[in-house]
Amino acid sequence: MFEKRTIQSLKTLLAAGAIVTLGAGVIANTAFAAPVPLVIGFTSDSSGQYANSGASDRRGMLMAIDEFNAKGGVLGRMIKTVHMDTETTPATGSRVAERVIAREKVGFLIGAVSSGVANAISQVAQSHGVVYLNTNSSSPTESGKNCHRVKFVWDGNGANFAQAAIKNSIGAYGKDVLLVTNDYVWGHNTSDATRKLVLANGANIIDEILVPQGTRDFSSVLLKIQQLKPQVIAVAVGGDDLKAMRSQIAQLGLGDKYAWVNNQQDWPDVYGLPADNLFGVFGTTWYYGMELPGVDTFVTKYQKAYPDNKMKVPGNVFYNGYWATRSLLETIERVGTTNNHAVIKGLEKLRIPAEARMQNHDAWMNAKTHQMQQTIYLATRNANPTSDDDMFTMLSYAAPEKVADSGAEATCELESFADTPVYTP
Amino acid sequence: MDILINLLPHIVNGLSLGLLFGLIALGFMLIVGVMELINLAHGSLFALGAYFAMTIINPDLSSWGAIGAWYVSLPLGFRYFLGLVIGAFLVALVGMGLEVCMRRTYGKKAEYGLLLTFGAALVIEETIRITWGSGEQFLPVPKMMSGAFIAGDMIYSTYRFYAAGFGAFMIFVVWLFLEKTPFGAMIKAGAHDSEMVRALGVNLTRLRLYVFAFGALLAAIAGIILTPIWGLRPHVGVDVVIPAFLIIVLGGIGSFWGAIIAGVLVGLVVAIVGAYASQWSLMSMYILLIVVLTFRTRGLLGKKSTLEN
Repeated sequence: MFEKRTIQSLKTLLAAGAIVTLGAGVIANTAFAAPVPLVIGFTSDSSGQYANSGASDRRGMLMAIDEFNAKGGVLGRMIKTVHMDTETTPATGSRVAERVIAREKVGFLIGAVSSGVANAISQVAQSHGVVYLNTNSSSPTESGKNCHRVKFVWDGNGANFAQAAIKNSIGAYGKDVLLVTNDYVWGHNTSDATRKLVLANGANIIDEILVPQGTRDFSSVLLKIQQLKPQVIAVAVGGDDLKAMRSQIAQLGLGDKYAWVNNQQDWPDVYGLPADNLFGVFGTTWYYGMELPGVDTFVTKYQKAYPDNKMKVPGNVFYNGYWATRSLLETIERVGTTNNHAVIKGLEKLRIPAEARMQNHDAWMNAKTHQMQQTIYLATRNANPTSDDDMFTMLSYAAPEKVADSGAEATCELESFADTPVYTP
Repeated sequence: MDILINLLPHIVNGLSLGLLFGLIALGFMLIVGVMELINLAHGSLFALGAYFAMTIINPDLSSWGAIGAWYVSLPLGFRYFLGLVIGAFLVALVGMGLEVCMRRTYGKKAEYGLLLTFGAALVIEETIRITWGSGEQFLPVPKMMSGAFIAGDMIYSTYRFYAAGFGAFMIFVVWLFLEKTPFGAMIKAGAHDSEMVRALGVNLTRLRLYVFAFGALLAAIAGIILTPIWGLRPHVGVDVVIPAFLIIVLGGIGSFWGAIIAGVLVGLVVAIVGAYASQWSLMSMYILLIVVLTFRTRGLLGKKSTLEN
């Protein structure tokens, strides 16, 4: 049997041991545990009309994140990503946003091609205070009546592109303009912007043909166009619908018969198509063949990151995905916190020099609409390509203030910071 | 008179579109008719046929030396023919594989077959994405079939009329096969009463295998013919399943001529509505279905089941 004194010592020893063990655990947790990773949710389409563009968008985001993770993450936290397919469907976009915020505890949401999906996601993001980057959807309403304090729009919109293209086309080809409009939010808003510009320039809208989403056979539309005999055709059709329409226009040889003005031409929508599928003029925000500093390095970096990808060079969708993500992470570093209000204020003051962004003019965030103001380019088919990828010829470019969407500022009413929940991932 | 002159191109266009719709629905109709199975992988087989054909027509043989150079130098028309035949045959083999997987679902609830073909559709689409990439592809057609021609003051696509003509030819071939060959008679008998056919000594297992392969082959041919018009991407098959299903329901499940008439009717309605109220063009086919089924629940030429007597 132990003596009473010995038992007392044993109890003391055990208590001391427990304290030491517990203390060591706490110290180990505080001193040696890795910081919690920052989780970013990708809300891009993997299926539906914009599946292909959604994949390109994601590659851009991932390359920016890989660059940051290679240098230790952001604010010492490694960046993890989670992706769910938004299916080019607004209802799925809402569901995905709710899920990744509630279950995956994402800090930020990035990604969109369809404006309808972007709008749905941003409503959920605003209700939670989660900063959301709309990378590639370009309906004017995204930075107009559907703007939100947490949402930042990185692509040029229909109004920007229309301003760059319409006036020149009317002057060069004639005043009878036909609108061909994809029958959903982006198509309608883009055509509305075009209509205003057409009328403001003294031309006429002779008709508007509405194209339902998911249309694969454009024969009726093309016959109708021939019957209407327009001089300029302003097309606001996107994604797979546009691909089908383009190939059918090419089969009929109508590409050279009319002046086609395509609002914006996303690189994934045209990559790999035969040359005669590219006709008319169209807008874009970036092209890999532009002779600007940094472009070659950027292309090389893309090819190194995605050596097996069928798309051998990056396009505007990849570019927007990359720059949106990179700018967000740089802003977090600059403001020194992931607190949403601080990040939003940081993004509202964002200004990126032209040489860094590989464009001809500086780009900056419009603090009133949360849309990136940037150089808008007009392009057409390259008649003398040096390779299969050498598809565009850049015709002209316009400074951001020359193509600004004045309507957006009039209609955008950002929520106040007081009405935006605080969120610090 | 002006209205008629304006309408005429749309009627011609609708007829050509209708023949193409009929071509899409043929294989689907055959499998539903004989096996009472809604093959949700029909669209994926359609896409797979087009991808096989594209690879056969325009393969990357840069590492094959002289043989590769010789093959690529063959006339496009000949390679297109090879693509059409071999591509369709390869998809028929895939169809056979799928039918073998289906066997455990026979005699069970219809949901089992539906789920299996739905799963197969996803697998095929993803396989296409991995093999050929997710970007837009291009299925070349011989020069004599491409381009445009002028009739009146309108320009029409030459290929579209070739495709519609080929659609009509395939419809005739399938009709000939079903009506004038012993195997066609077995298929029709199998569709009417499969157990009786088995009792008469016909190997029902083999019959189903061949029917599924034939349905897959027709899906592939439709894909090869239609993708130069609609474009080629991994999910192009999704655009096909719903019209195909709609057409066979509209025509009357199991009815050959019902499917053809329904295809032409859908083509005409979509084309004419597309010309005058384009936003309703896709919706118009569903409205047509509702109207027809309201008055004829078995579709245009669907027969009354013996159980209903």
